[in-house]
Amino acid sequence: MRVQVNARNRAYEFEAEPGEKILFAGLRANIDLPYECATGTCGTCKARLVDGRTEDAWPDASGRKYLKGAGEFLMCQCAPAGDVVAEVGSFVYATDPGACPAGPVQGVLAATRRLTHDVLAFDVELDRALDFDAGQFMAVATPGVTGFRGYSMVNFARQARRLEFVVKKKPGGGVSEWLFGGAAAGARLQLFGPLGKATFHPSLAKNVLCIAGGSGIAGMMSILARAAQEGYFGQHRGYVFFGVRTLNDAFYLDELAALQRTCPDRLDVTVALSDEDVPAAASEGHPTLRFARGMVHEVAKQAMQGKYQNVRAYLAGPPPAVDSAIRFLLLEARLTADNIRYDKFS
Amino acid sequence: MAKQFVCRTGDIPANGMKECEADGGLKLVVANSGADYFAFQAICPHQEVPLCEGLYDGAVVTCHMHLWQWDVRSGAPIGLAEAPLERYDLSVEGDSIYVESKSAIDVGTLFAGASEATLAQLAALARRETYPPGAVVYRVGDPADDFFVLDSGHVEFQIGRDERTSPAGFMLRKGEVFGWAALLEGHPRRIANARALEESALLRINGTEALRVLEADPQSGFLVMRRLSALIARYLAEPGAK
Repeated sequence: MRVQVNARNRAYEFEAEPGEKILFAGLRANIDLPYECATGTCGTCKARLVDGRTEDAWPDASGRKYLKGAGEFLMCQCAPAGDVVAEVGSFVYATDPGACPAGPVQGVLAATRRLTHDVLAFDVELDRALDFDAGQFMAVATPGVTGFRGYSMVNFARQARRLEFVVKKKPGGGVSEWLFGGAAAGARLQLFGPLGKATFHPSLAKNVLCIAGGSGIAGMMSILARAAQEGYFGQHRGYVFFGVRTLNDAFYLDELAALQRTCPDRLDVTVALSDEDVPAAASEGHPTLRFARGMVHEVAKQAMQGKYQNVRAYLAGPPPAVDSAIRFLLLEARLTADNIRYDKFS
Repeated sequence: MAKQFVCRTGDIPANGMKECEADGGLKLVVANSGADYFAFQAICPHQEVPLCEGLYDGAVVTCHMHLWQWDVRSGAPIGLAEAPLERYDLSVEGDSIYVESKSAIDVGTLFAGASEATLAQLAALARRETYPPGAVVYRVGDPADDFFVLDSGHVEFQIGRDERTSPAGFMLRKGEVFGWAALLEGHPRRIANARALEESALLRINGTEALRVLEADPQSGFLVMRRLSALIARYLAEPGAK
């Protein structure tokens, strides 16, 4: 089916497979259509239908609250029913030729393992090799659940055949319940990606500040893995702030300590506990990590004073934590907006 | 132009901002900066996020959604922002703040920073026209004598001829300029069709006369030409293809 998207600067035409979401078809054709979450929550990919008809795969998507009027729809949720002409309100260009091309890929659920009482890691073996940038995510569809969910890659590899993700248990969350309910290894998954612009490249040549709440640490692990592989912390510093409620909610602490060993004295890792004083056992278990009581953005703000020269910040986690971090980084740390990177999920 | 009551000075926190509704229904954000008050559009020009939910430090306004930023005094974009803020002129009488409506010429980026005198001369050249939905503003091959500033509405461009046309973008913000071939040498003909998609009000300005005004004030003229080249590049550019 033929899709035409009229942008502010020009029109683009591309083909969509039957049932394929308009956003995914456009990205696959190297057209950098507007999106952020790609999974129906943020509303960034909204468009206005000019001609034709679309099928909405998920009429209950929360991002629909951003739509005005019957003619508007979310490109990440709608597939064309026949030829379609739509209009988006922004300037649209071709995808950056240096970006990893996004496309559909299938995979198999290879393994799951509990990280805490409510966080689980799952690995997907892909049917083909995939290039992605550190900090990117995939849209993942699981059997029996409507729509895709976004998960950041934890690992980093070129031509990756295996992707590692983290999921937090959410009552009523279809994918999370399926995985926590003992999802069968070998189940087939549909994925689309890589997606997201909060990426890290070693050519950045800046100190890296990561502020993550809960499962938001996933993308940071990929950034740190890439940096460690390239010896990035030989020249630059890394500051990681990982916020959880209690020590029992923390995970990847061994992995973070192992990353520190690849670059002694250049990578500071602080675990912020919002709901309890730091137990004595914390430092005994992980002597190279720092532990502090407080909200992660407060702990980061305290610890980073006077260290903002040449810094790029990456943020991930619950929206209130990300918003608070943005506020102090812009207004108090005086970072420029292009040095604060995150992908909005709401 | 008529002025409308917006709010009391005491309603606006010191070095803070607040969304207000002027008499007549115009929604705007009023910001305080020391002794001064500034006003701008209530909704981010990017994605319809209320700007009163954003950040403001007394000088720079930031939309919290994607960190677009503007200078509160001029509305000029800073950093990531790809469009200016529509600013409104305020007058303060006693503790009452009034807003004055602005012409599309003053709102747009192309002429921002030009001298008052030059802006007044350009405004004197402008002829206001309204187009009903579907009306053609110009066609491929027409003489490119005039350029247009959008006041309100929605104007679409098509390139190609006869049945073989394809859309080439559209204009929908007050102050956006199109038909700029009229300001370029060696481009005497339109290369696109321009058509109003809804009822649209345009300011039509003769290119040769505008250039004469800009030549008489080279400082303003240089600014405008710099902006014009940036504007054209934006329509040609494929970022990344350096």
